[in-house]
Amino acid sequence: MAGKSGRTINATPQNVWKKRLISWEGVLVVILVAVLILCRAMSANYTFENVLREMPKYLSEMFLMLPMAFILMMGEIDISVGSIVCLSGTLGCFAVNAGLPFPVALLIMLGSGIICGAINGLIIVMFPELPSMIVTLGTQIIFRGIAEIMLGGGGSISATNADGFRAIGKSIGNIPMVFFLVVIASVIFVLISTKMKFGRELMAIGSNRLTAFYSGVKVKKVLFITYVTMGAFSALCAIFFTAATYGANTTTGKGFEMDAIAMAVFGGISSTGGKGKMIGGIISAFVIICLRIGLGQKNMNSQLILLIIGVLLIGAVVLPNISAMITAKKKKASV
Amino acid sequence: MKKKVLSVLLCAAMATTMLAACGGGSGSTGDTGSSGGSSDSGKKQYAIVPKSAGNPYNEKEVEGFQTIIEANGGECVVNYPQEATADAQITVINSLISQNVASIAVAANDENALQSVLEDAMSKGIKVSCLDSSVNKDSRQTFANQAGVNEVAQALCDAVLDISGGSGDWAILSASSQATNQNAWIEAMKSIMENDSKYADLNLVEVAYGDDETQKSTDQTQALLTNYPNLKVICAPTTVGIAAAAKVVQDAGSSVLVTGLGLPSEMAEYIGTSADGKSCPYMFLWNPIDLGKLSAYISLALVDGTITGAVGDTFEAKELGTTYTITEAADGGTEVILGAPFAFTPDNIAEWKDVY
Amino acid sequence: MKMRELSLIFVLVLLIAVVSIINPAFFTIENLLEVLKNNVVTLIPTLGMLMVLLIGGIDISIASTMALAGMAVGLLFKYNMISSTFLGIVIALAIGAVCGLLMGVIIGLGNVPPIIATMGGMYIFRALAYLVGNSQWAGAEALGTYKEFALKDILGVNVTIWITILCYIIFFILLKWTKFGRNIYAVGSNAEAAEISGIKVARVKIAVYTIMGLLCGLTGALNTSIYASAQPNSLTGKEMDVIAACVIGGVSMSGGRGSVGGALLGGLVLAVIAKALPLVHIPSIAQNTIKGVLIVVVIIVNVLTQRAMNRRALARREM
Repeated sequence: MAGKSGRTINATPQNVWKKRLISWEGVLVVILVAVLILCRAMSANYTFENVLREMPKYLSEMFLMLPMAFILMMGEIDISVGSIVCLSGTLGCFAVNAGLPFPVALLIMLGSGIICGAINGLIIVMFPELPSMIVTLGTQIIFRGIAEIMLGGGGSISATNADGFRAIGKSIGNIPMVFFLVVIASVIFVLISTKMKFGRELMAIGSNRLTAFYSGVKVKKVLFITYVTMGAFSALCAIFFTAATYGANTTTGKGFEMDAIAMAVFGGISSTGGKGKMIGGIISAFVIICLRIGLGQKNMNSQLILLIIGVLLIGAVVLPNISAMITAKKKKASV
Repeated sequence: MKKKVLSVLLCAAMATTMLAACGGGSGSTGDTGSSGGSSDSGKKQYAIVPKSAGNPYNEKEVEGFQTIIEANGGECVVNYPQEATADAQITVINSLISQNVASIAVAANDENALQSVLEDAMSKGIKVSCLDSSVNKDSRQTFANQAGVNEVAQALCDAVLDISGGSGDWAILSASSQATNQNAWIEAMKSIMENDSKYADLNLVEVAYGDDETQKSTDQTQALLTNYPNLKVICAPTTVGIAAAAKVVQDAGSSVLVTGLGLPSEMAEYIGTSADGKSCPYMFLWNPIDLGKLSAYISLALVDGTITGAVGDTFEAKELGTTYTITEAADGGTEVILGAPFAFTPDNIAEWKDVY
Repeated sequence: MKMRELSLIFVLVLLIAVVSIINPAFFTIENLLEVLKNNVVTLIPTLGMLMVLLIGGIDISIASTMALAGMAVGLLFKYNMISSTFLGIVIALAIGAVCGLLMGVIIGLGNVPPIIATMGGMYIFRALAYLVGNSQWAGAEALGTYKEFALKDILGVNVTIWITILCYIIFFILLKWTKFGRNIYAVGSNAEAAEISGIKVARVKIAVYTIMGLLCGLTGALNTSIYASAQPNSLTGKEMDVIAACVIGGVSMSGGRGSVGGALLGGLVLAVIAKALPLVHIPSIAQNTIKGVLIVVVIIVNVLTQRAMNRRALARREM
């Protein structure tokens, strides 16, 4: 999936602020504001309080979006994350029910996520011929399958002592604790992608793997670290998701991978690699979250909500392309 | 630079029209009671959360629920989850809490996963009840049970006994391995068969899971037929499974017979005598419309304070023609039982297949 | 390329042999025909996916397209709008083609990365299937004569299998001996070079996605007939099976490499795995895990044999 076709890099800074405003990220901010205003106009229940109360479930998905953005920037993909959430959540509940102290249960959850991520990373690094989509499709089935075997006939487990999960599911004032964590994690990921060597290496791999390799990027190492990070953050997602459900079942986390990918893609992070900004993914995640909450409060048909997100996804990419084509044609005509 | 400005404008325009369309769209779909908050109409809002969208069985529950709520001057809010998962139902219930509805009736996709969000709802004064599939006892006030677990299991056991002629191999084709209802029925069937000597000659060879997917159910049924040449009966207590099994058996011209729980409209093709080449002599189900109605009466009674969900509370269900009493459920919570499962036979299938 | 297919045939024969030893009932004509019939819905779209992957694209909207087409046909029969099987299939083909064309235009002309466009399509078409269905299914009785279609046998072999075989022959010819087929490989190997050498890349892309849609329409129609049931959530996740079939069959996901024979073998491997698991008495609850492990093992074995056969490949991957 590495980018084969030469892509032009237009990174000549001219007027920085003007550029920022009319970049895709700028557009996203405008859309976010529009969404908030319109949802508020549509529903009297769309209050600060209610939106924040509904947010934690979506916020836990944002943990997936952050490393997923890195993976997409490298031109790879990971569709096993929903299953990692399921397995990690299941293990956590088993640990709590076995009487282990809550911090130990958290460590088990994190550990299982990291191991799953490492398995993905190892296979992908060892067999570069295999597309990551297929590898993670296989592990997607396996990870959820292991959870299914553990859960047995009932297929569902409830944490008998959910005090620990209740505690991390709490809010400080109106703001759920997970919100702060998401913000902190987002800042870290933005810093990594903009200020650190690792971020530049990711982009280099995404743009052209071979060139990156020859210019000294340790491709295998970067790939492996990113997949392990993905696993660890899947476990984080599982922790906060379990805090909202006090349990796990065989469908836990189903489809989370697509939600995470959609957030990143809508944020302008290209799945073909080498394109996009972390901040775009973060803003777009909030756009999608706020929009879904608003439409949900109007009791809109959930399938219709999906349809709208589908149209937005395509529109977000196709409209700028079309406008670019129109201007390109005009230029051609004038030449 | 110009192209960027253009693209910004285009995108902004797109976003606004999309949202405007959404606003307009949701306003006009008033037929499912989706428009307007309680503040607009002044009516109390009674919400129902089915298991999933796009399923006629769930639709009939909603239909029954809606009729009763509206007949009693309430506003019915229907909110389907995006998928048949507990995750999706959490989102939906969260949204209903924001709308401050008077009551929520939910057909749960998982017994435990909704606990946190339903506790939250109850702490905000929203009355919570279940229908069809229950949540655990801490997460609900009461449960509209379509038929007692033991009644269903007993009916299915007797059907297997009757159809097999009293002895022989039989198998179960269930939904997914974690389907709450199916598992409860299967467990109850096993214990009934163990404890009564009249079932001693029946031999349960396998419990297969078709995950409520047609293709997988077909694979599983074919495997049952191949693996157990002496198989006499397949019992499928799930609507997708029974239809798939009946089709496989009927198409193969096999002597195996199918029974279980199914929708009359889906099963009409297969119900009949084996002399006519039909694969299902009879099967059972309850009336999902009545179940929806019962659930509506429970919601109404919970909201106006007639009942609190405690054992011994009674309420009148006018359209169902009886007064129901809340009883203790097997899990320690409370429930209201609609009635015994109804048998669909070649004689009555014609009149029911167009109903649901 | 030929060697890779040989190694797959070896894997397939090994699989069938092992299963047949454990349960001789597997290796009967009837059972093998059942395997084919029950996997028509994977085998047919695999052809389309092969073309899509060959031009370096991907299509994850296919399962939704199939559900939409199948649902539409089912409802038309249910409400007695049509009664001709032929017309039903044509309508499904048309719906599929329109969906595919839409994807093709967005990808080819709009320059949208395929995974994004088809992810949007996945949501949109699935939502349409639900909206069209309006909470109704079309059951066996409602489908009337339409379900009889998939029961017909010609020369002892089910008609749906014949359709599948026909599709494979057509695509084999199309990809091997026509200009269009060569153009597909050219676009997949190097789109820019293809453009320069006069191939209208956008047109090829649109055509490929439209054909994919057409096959999805056919699959949707057959699915409704084979299982005598149309439900809006049917075939969810099928796209992954189809992509897996292609990759197992040695089709490269970065374009340019892959063959009809490989895709067929990949599809068959998956079909045999799905059919065999319940037959070899693996507990239901562990079947998914085993399926996942088998998929990973098969693709890794495939890679290892490929490496052994082609040492040169190793040098390229030394990074």
